[in-house]
Amino acid sequence: MAEPDREGLAAARTIALRSRRFGDYDVPEERIVVFPDGLVGFPEARRFALLEPSRAESPFHYLVCVDYPELGFVVCDPERLWPSYSSEVPRPADVTGEVAVLVLVRIPADPGESTANLMAPLVIDCATRRGRQLVLDTGRWATRHPLFRLAAPDAS
Amino acid sequence: MLILTRKLGEVIRMGDSVTVRVLEVKGNQVRLGIEAPAEVRIYREEVYRAIRRENEGAQLEDPERLDRAAIAWQNRIEKA
Repeated sequence: MAEPDREGLAAARTIALRSRRFGDYDVPEERIVVFPDGLVGFPEARRFALLEPSRAESPFHYLVCVDYPELGFVVCDPERLWPSYSSEVPRPADVTGEVAVLVLVRIPADPGESTANLMAPLVIDCATRRGRQLVLDTGRWATRHPLFRLAAPDAS
Repeated sequence: MLILTRKLGEVIRMGDSVTVRVLEVKGNQVRLGIEAPAEVRIYREEVYRAIRRENEGAQLEDPERLDRAAIAWQNRIEKA
């Protein structure tokens, strides 16, 4: 998504992302998502680029902070794993249009133990590309929802 | 730390736009009613700490892990 399309962007402004950890990108300005409040625990990390994974079949994306280029998170679109989840995430009151919902993923040394934080999704207003991290303090969603075990239809 | 004593129904105001009212006191539990602008984030402390801890854990320090997780994902799809 954030891989610069070489055609037709000559006039578009790009933001240079130079990261030892994640590599170098020239991210079109319209692909930058701004979290005015940062993420919980990272209030200064406000501008992010959503980068495509290297493997085409991967559901995971990098969310790399433009302000702190060595700070990056793994996110995934929850729709592919929990189809009803996104519709249950409340829309912020000031957002009337379409929103994108992403969840943060923790990948431990054993990737089979990866979890998604369904309690605190990232909700992005598609029109303004402004996002915020919501906290669903209802007890319904866990901070460490297993990515692989529960998603399998034969899980027991 | 500022320490204030309030009776049931009384209010503490923080700045111009945040108020905290004591709604109910029952044993060792206190119910508080908080009014604040939407941009003020309000969390129970333990929830805030849990989310912050998870955010810290979701930082990707080793990009290779993303590839390994993508492979695990692919294996899951093939098995399903």
